[in-house]
Amino acid sequence: MADTETLLKDSTALDHPWQVVVYDDPVNFAEYVTQVFMRVLGYPRPRAETLMLEVHETGRSVVWSGERERAELYTQQLQAHQLKTAMEKPEA
Amino acid sequence: MKAAPTLDGRVRIDPESEIDLVVLRAVIGDAQRSGEGLASHLAGGMDSAVFEDWTEFVTPELKGQFDRQLVLVAEDLAAMRPGQPLFIGKDRVESWYGALNQARLALQDTYSFDGESIESMSPEKASARIRYHFYGMIQELLLEILF
Repeated sequence: MADTETLLKDSTALDHPWQVVVYDDPVNFAEYVTQVFMRVLGYPRPRAETLMLEVHETGRSVVWSGERERAELYTQQLQAHQLKTAMEKPEA
Repeated sequence: MKAAPTLDGRVRIDPESEIDLVVLRAVIGDAQRSGEGLASHLAGGMDSAVFEDWTEFVTPELKGQFDRQLVLVAEDLAAMRPGQPLFIGKDRVESWYGALNQARLALQDTYSFDGESIESMSPEKASARIRYHFYGMIQELLLEILF
C-alpha cells in the first residue's frame, strides 16, 4: 500500500507543472480578453484585468499553471475563443 | 446601416440598402482568408512535447468549430433583406462574435494594419481597413450588450 502511494505521488510530481501562456495580438479587444479569462479560468475581474494588461504590455502572460490535463482543457478553451495560447513546460 | 441594442437585450442590425448587405456579407469571405490557418496559428507556440498530438486531435476540432460559426452567420446573412432587421440574441452571439473576429484576424494577418493613414493605403487595403473597423464596431456592441 505504501509503495502504491509513493508511486502515485512521484507520477503526479513528474507531470507538474505545465504553464498556460496567452500571447498578445493586435485584434482582440481588451474587454473581450478580460471576459474570456473570467469565463474560462474562473478568475474575478481584477485578476483577469491584471493578466490581460500583462499580455498587452509584455506580449505574453502565464495565466495558469498546474497539471497537464487541466492545462490542456484551458488551452483548448482559450484557443476556441481565438486567443493565441500555448502550453509550456518550464525548464526544471 | 444601423446597429443598436434593443429593450429585450438583443442587438438589432438594420441594413438599409443592398450595399449594406454586400459589406456585411463580406465577413464570410474575409474570415475564410485564414483558411486552414487560424486554428493552427492559435497553437503556434505549443511545447514540442504536445505539439504533434495537438495538431492531430485539437486543431481539427477547433477548425470545425470556427467553420460552424461561419455557417450559422452565413445562414443569417443569406436571409437578410434591405429594410428587414436582423436580431442577434444570446443564442447566436458566440457565433457572430467569433465570425467577426475570424474576419478581423484574417484581415490583420493579410494587410498588417498599423498606424498608416487610410488616405495613403491602396484602394484594396483601405476597403479592408474600413471593413475591419466596421466588424470591430459590431463586436464592441455585442460585447457590451450580450456577453
